[in-house]
Amino acid sequence: MLTGSVEAPVLSLRDAAFSYGGSPAIAGVTIDVHAGEAVALIGPNGSGKSTLLKGVLGLIPATAGRFEAFGVPRGAGAPHAEAAARASRRSIGYLPQSDELDPEFPVTLAQVAMMGRYRSLGWMRWPGRADREAVRDALEAVGLSHRAKARFGSLSGGQQQRGLLARALASAPRLLLLDEPFNGLDQANRDALVQTLRTLKRRGVAVLVSTHDLELAREVCDTVLLLNGRQVACGRTEDVLTLPNVQAAFAESGVEIDEHTLVVPGHHEDH
Amino acid sequence: MQWLIEPFALPFMARALGVLLALAVVAGLVGVLVNLRGLEFISDGLTHAVFPGIAIGFVWGGRDGLFLGAVITAIAAAAVLTLITRSGVASDAAIAIVLTGFFSVGVLVVSRQSDYAGQLDALLFGRLLTVTDADLWRTVAVCAVAVVAVLATLPGQVFRAFDRRGSEAAGFRPLALDLTLNVAIALVVVAASSAVGNLLVLAVLIVPGAVARLVTLRLGALFPVAAVAAALAAWLGLAIGFGASVGGDVALPAGSTVVVTLVALYAVVLVVRLVVDRVRRTA
Ligand SMILES: Nc1ncnc2c1ncn2[C@@H]1O[C@H](COP(=O)(O)OP(=O)(O)OP(=O)(O)O)[C@@H](O)[C@H]1O
Ligand SMILES: [Mg+2]
Repeated sequence: MLTGSVEAPVLSLRDAAFSYGGSPAIAGVTIDVHAGEAVALIGPNGSGKSTLLKGVLGLIPATAGRFEAFGVPRGAGAPHAEAAARASRRSIGYLPQSDELDPEFPVTLAQVAMMGRYRSLGWMRWPGRADREAVRDALEAVGLSHRAKARFGSLSGGQQQRGLLARALASAPRLLLLDEPFNGLDQANRDALVQTLRTLKRRGVAVLVSTHDLELAREVCDTVLLLNGRQVACGRTEDVLTLPNVQAAFAESGVEIDEHTLVVPGHHEDH
Repeated sequence: MQWLIEPFALPFMARALGVLLALAVVAGLVGVLVNLRGLEFISDGLTHAVFPGIAIGFVWGGRDGLFLGAVITAIAAAAVLTLITRSGVASDAAIAIVLTGFFSVGVLVVSRQSDYAGQLDALLFGRLLTVTDADLWRTVAVCAVAVVAVLATLPGQVFRAFDRRGSEAAGFRPLALDLTLNVAIALVVVAASSAVGNLLVLAVLIVPGAVARLVTLRLGALFPVAAVAAALAAWLGLAIGFGASVGGDVALPAGSTVVVTLVALYAVVLVVRLVVDRVRRTA
C-alpha cells in the first residue's frame, strides 16, 4: 500500500488457475498488484511460481477464476484472451528462470539488451537515440556497461542472466516478472539488483519476483504470495512470512523449515 | 584481368550476372537468417517441394508458366511446412517423406513430356546463359518481394533466432515470423531454381551465410558479408566458366560453375579461419 490504492491494480487475480493442459499447475490465486508494488512468490520446487509468471504473460492459459492485467480481462472464457495477452506483453518485462541460448550466436550484450526495444519499434524502423539511451541505462542498472560490446555467449552465466534482465528493463515495462533472478548472482550483484528493484518500484513499476531467498523478500517486497500448487497465504510480507505459513507451504517438499531459516536476525527493511 | 570483365560485355553474360547479383542480395539477407535459425533442413525441403510446381508450370505454360507455377507452389509449400513444423507432431522424417513425395510427383510430370531428358536437365541444373530480359526482371521482382518481407520483420526474426521463447514472451508472433521467413526462403528457391537449377539452390541459400559466419562475429556485418561473398562467387564463377568454354574449349554448365566457385570460396575462408584461430591461440 505504498502508492495510492485508489488506482486500478496493474494485475488482478481472483481465485485464478493456470494449466498446462491437465489439472491446474497453480490454482486459487487471489491478489491485486499495484504500480510500485513488489510481490515475492515463494514456495518449494514445483509449487507453481514459474507457472504463475507464465500465466500472467499469457504463455499458458488461465483455466478458472478472474484475471485482469492493465484493466483488460484475460481469464478463462474472456474474449480475445490470446490477442490481449500478446498486446499486454509490450508492457511486461520478463526474465525466465533459465534459458538455453546458443553461446555461438553472434550478438553483443548491447544488442541483446536492445531486443527489449524491438517490440516497440515501428514498422521498418531501426533503433533510434531513445532506444540506445534505454539500453545504456538498463546495462548501467545491472552493472554491465563495461561489457556492452562483448559477445553475449562470452559472458559468464551470472552476467548473461543480468544481460537478460537488462533486456527486460530496457523495454520500460509497467510490470516486471522475474523468475528467480537472484540465482547465481554474487553478493555484490545481488545487492545491486536489490537497489535496482527499489528504484524501479519508486518509478511505479509493479514487480512479481519468484525466489527461494526469504531475506530478499523482506528486503524488497511489500507482499508475499506463498504457493504450493495453490495459494497457501498472501499478504504483507511480515504477516505472511511466519513459521506456520512457511512450514505449511513446504510441508510435502521435505525441506526443513525452522526459526533459523525464517528469521534473519538484525534485519531492517523498508525505505 | 580482362577475362574478369570482358565477358560481361556480352548481353547474355550481363543478364546472367544480373540474375546472380539479385540472388546474392537475397542470399545475403535470407541466407544469414537461415543460418542463424538453423533452417537448413526446411530450406532443403522447400527446394524439393517447389520442384513439382516448376515442372507442372513448365508443362502447362512453358517458361512463363514455370515461374508462376513455382511461385504458387512455393508459397503453398512454405505455408504447409510452417504449419507442420509448428504443430510439433510431424517429425523430421515425416517432413522429408512429404517433400520427397512432392519431388517425385514433379519428376513424373516431367517424364510425361517428349523431350524428357533435356527438360529435366534444364529444371535441375538451370539455364543461366539463356536467361531473357523478362526472366531477369521476374527474378529481380521475386527477390525484391523476399527482401522486403524479411526487412519488414528483421528485428523479430533476429530476436526469434537468438531466443525463441524470449521473443514470444516479448509479444512477437511466432507464426507470422515463421510464415514470412519461410515464404521468403521459398521465393529465393524459385528465383534461384531458374538460374542455377533446383539441385543447386540449397548452395545459394546456405553457403553465403556460412561464409559470413566464418568471417565475422558481428551481427550487422553478417548480412553484407554474405551478399558480397555470393556476388563475388557469381562474378568469378561466370568469368571462369566463360574463359573455360571460349579459351579452353571446355563447356561447363554455368550454374554449376558458379556454385563450385561459391563452395571453393567457403573452403578458402574456412582454411583461413582455421589458420587465424590457430595463430591467435598460440600467440
Ligand atoms: N511445460 C510443462 N508442462 C506440464 N507441466 C509442467 C510444465 N512446466 C511445469 N509443469 C508442472 O507444473 C508444476 C509447477 O511447476 P513450476 O515450474 O511452476 O514450479 P516452480 O515453483 O517454478 O518450481 P522451481 O522452484 O523448481 O522453479 C509442477 O508440477 C511441474 O511439474
Ligand atoms: Mg520455477
